[in-house]
Amino acid sequence: MDKKVLIIIPAYNEAENIEKVVKSIEGRDYVIINDGSTDDTANICRQNHYNFIDLPVNLGLIGAFQTGLKYALQNDYSYALQFDGDGQHQPQFIDGMVSFAEEAGADIVIGSRFVEQKKPFSARMLGSRLLSGLIWLFTHKKIADPTSGMRLYNKKIIAKMASDINLGPEPDTISYFLKCKASVKEFQVEMKERQAGESYLNFSGSIKYMWKMCCSILVLQIMRGR
Amino acid sequence: MSLTLRIMLIVACFGTFIYIRRKIRQSKLKMDEAIFWIVFSLILLIMSLFPQIPAWIAFKIGFVSTVNLIYLVIIFLLIIKLFTMSRKVSDLEERLKQLVQNIAIKDNENKNQ
Repeated sequence: MDKKVLIIIPAYNEAENIEKVVKSIEGRDYVIINDGSTDDTANICRQNHYNFIDLPVNLGLIGAFQTGLKYALQNDYSYALQFDGDGQHQPQFIDGMVSFAEEAGADIVIGSRFVEQKKPFSARMLGSRLLSGLIWLFTHKKIADPTSGMRLYNKKIIAKMASDINLGPEPDTISYFLKCKASVKEFQVEMKERQAGESYLNFSGSIKYMWKMCCSILVLQIMRGR
Repeated sequence: MSLTLRIMLIVACFGTFIYIRRKIRQSKLKMDEAIFWIVFSLILLIMSLFPQIPAWIAFKIGFVSTVNLIYLVIIFLLIIKLFTMSRKVSDLEERLKQLVQNIAIKDNENKNQ
């Protein structure tokens, strides 16, 4: 592969998972963004001489990921891959996603669970359906897995997201870029359940997240220009 | 609810919309803040477009005048905003303190190396 791909791993209290994740992507360019973790994440990264950026305060996923994008921009990477620090995402799909992006000329490639497989009718997928529906309503594009956290961005998108106040690595940004006529494609991947530690989304957290995403999609679509 | 007040509220709501829209386009406003002000002005807009709604609620609660309910709603929403703002200010102050301390400690480490 001739194009440089940076794997950005935002990590907040992922001491139990981070070693496994880094081992699984050995040989690739990566940067861990330690988002002010209160556990041993920073120490583990230091001891193993991982390439990591240590944020002194907790910025949240959006701020942490944006740090990685700035790093990608400074070091002239062609693609940035959003990759979870909890072992959910599997590295064997990375090459496929990158070559798919190059072939299709896509600006964003979503590592999607539901391109070929059907979306199950569970409570967890209700939110995903709602977001898919909203995006379809506004952009007439079908995004089967808007909440997937495994996304590949090209240079154009990296440059836009690296300095914007409202474009985090979330479904609302996907919907906004669709409005801007960016090409967003999905690539079939598989994901594991998270291995250890606790997800940052519990029930009330999920409701809040959904409310924010829906409002944000609406506001970005209606109020923001291209 | 007098017609003058309704017109004033409607004008103020549209003013808010236009202002928020401009700030969003300039990327000067965070989404959370934008959502609050949009919902805030939507509530006022609905109440001034359909005065039967606040009138009915005011009657049920036992208010003498509908206007009192409008004022109460505005004050209530603004107090909630004030609370969340003061929480955020504390949070920001704490982060700033941590950041300054962190830089100073790193500086000291570098000097001693």
